Amino acid sequence: MSAPMVRVEGLRKRFSVPRREAGLRAALRALVRREFRVVEAVQGLEFSLAPGERVGFLGPNGAGKTTTLKMLAGLIVPSAGRVEVAGFTPSDRRPEFLRRVSLVMGQKRQLSWDLPAIDNFEFNRVVYEIEPAQYRRRLDELTALLDVGEVMRRPVRQLSLGERMKCELVAALLHGPQVLFLDEPTIGLDVSMQLGIREFIRRYNAEHGATVILTSHYMEDVAALCPRILVIDEGRLRFDGSIEALRRQIRPLRRVSVRAATLPAEPAALGRVVLCEGSRLVLDVEPERVPAVVQALVALPEAQDLAVHDAPLEEVMRALFGREEEAAEVG
Amino acid sequence: MWRISLAEAIAYRVSMLMWVLTTTFPLVSLALWSGLAASGPVGDYARPDFVAYFVAAFLIRQFTASWVVWELSAQIRSGDLNTLLMRPMSPMLYHAIQNLAALPIRVALALPIGVVVLVLAGSLGWPSPGSLALFGLSLALAWLLNLGVHVCIGCLAFWVTESTALFEVWLGLYLVLSGAAVPTSLYPAGLAEVVRALPFHASLGFPVELAIGRATGAAVTQGLALQALWAAGFGALGAWLWRRGVRTYEAVGT
Repeated sequence: MSAPMVRVEGLRKRFSVPRREAGLRAALRALVRREFRVVEAVQGLEFSLAPGERVGFLGPNGAGKTTTLKMLAGLIVPSAGRVEVAGFTPSDRRPEFLRRVSLVMGQKRQLSWDLPAIDNFEFNRVVYEIEPAQYRRRLDELTALLDVGEVMRRPVRQLSLGERMKCELVAALLHGPQVLFLDEPTIGLDVSMQLGIREFIRRYNAEHGATVILTSHYMEDVAALCPRILVIDEGRLRFDGSIEALRRQIRPLRRVSVRAATLPAEPAALGRVVLCEGSRLVLDVEPERVPAVVQALVALPEAQDLAVHDAPLEEVMRALFGREEEAAEVG
Repeated sequence: MWRISLAEAIAYRVSMLMWVLTTTFPLVSLALWSGLAASGPVGDYARPDFVAYFVAAFLIRQFTASWVVWELSAQIRSGDLNTLLMRPMSPMLYHAIQNLAALPIRVALALPIGVVVLVLAGSLGWPSPGSLALFGLSLALAWLLNLGVHVCIGCLAFWVTESTALFEVWLGLYLVLSGAAVPTSLYPAGLAEVVRALPFHASLGFPVELAIGRATGAAVTQGLALQALWAAGFGALGAWLWRRGVRTYEAVGT
């Protein structure tokens, strides 16, 4: 295995947040003496990523994944520990480092609002000192892949969210970064646009071998795009592995569903009953018992629509973060 | 790079015109003082001198203006600074280029106004070409000094929320002490010397006096030296604040 592209050791980040009670009196008191509360956003992360890996950061809001991403990108300085990306310490923000990485933030526009995207690209060509021939080649490739040939000539403010996001991606990739940081790249996009962006990122990664680090609200993004997942919760690494391994570890049971004219008298004998209603039965079954259960269900009168699934990802995340009631917040 | 910033400045040309028109404070002063001087000179300023002085002040203010403090404070507070920080180019250099790129448009908008006022006042004697190179140098230093002040106060947004309020304080002092309202040479003796040594005068009053031929001989060297000193001082302070600020930066938002 080659030298890691990203190496993180004992990484910590502590923020002091001014604290104040609500109300006028508290506001006045805060003028005289400000109270600070220390927030441990990241508490001792360790991991390393190989060149060309696609890795997703998962965790509830406030888990520390965006903070971690920002430390990897060099935007904020770690309180303790070491970060190395492409052989550089990101927080030094050396031009050689910045030319090797790129950060795309779904919630922040990085293109100048009033200029056509093509002018923004030209701006990046100058700032990143890209050779004209290479610039031309990459621009052609990216605009063809993302289909923004016409769009990029209109002022950015007139673009739809999806068109703008595509242009953001072009701008981010013109200098051919070795490491691509994506923070919620598909937020607010419709499903077909999400799929398009996802497919593009996968293809770009395959063709150029760039390391991709992604945080996303949409678990589907992460599941579809990232062979490796780092689950970060309360600033700590809770899991490091594939989505399948994560699923097996958290929710080993398979979900088996069937429709039949008559359902078994004692479905609980087959597995944990999720739903038993009319002609429909849904069970969670231990993996090694799946063949036997399937046989039993197929034998039911007029059995149809028999299906075996992994537990849905949302449930896995909810189980992992132990917050069953809340909508799973992942990103 | 410059071309793109220029294109961006052109995109904002209307707001720029409004801005030029609303920062005509020296022209207001002009009306006031030329009224006062109608019955006889004030100090060593006769009516045409006031016209020349305040038109020069108006133009020089236009050419050396900066708005970095607003941009920088907003970027720091909103997290938009992230975008600038990810580029392999100093955000400070970026802001400087943005300011420079707006210059041609400012010149194009402000110069006619100045000429119109001069024609109306019947004193188109200005500019006296004399030492144009020295004036250019003085203008450049005034611009740098202004930029330095803006960066210093803008960087305070790394630590306090309302850095732009502090800038209002600076602006208040500036209007009184720079010569935008009163030529600093008209201050009472003793006070005048102090006022003329401050950065406010270096950023406006001195280049104005140089432009209208009121600074000559040793006063020129002394004025330029003071400008350079203040510009270097604020530049160094700004650079220091910037370096410290970026390390405490929390990159809010996403």
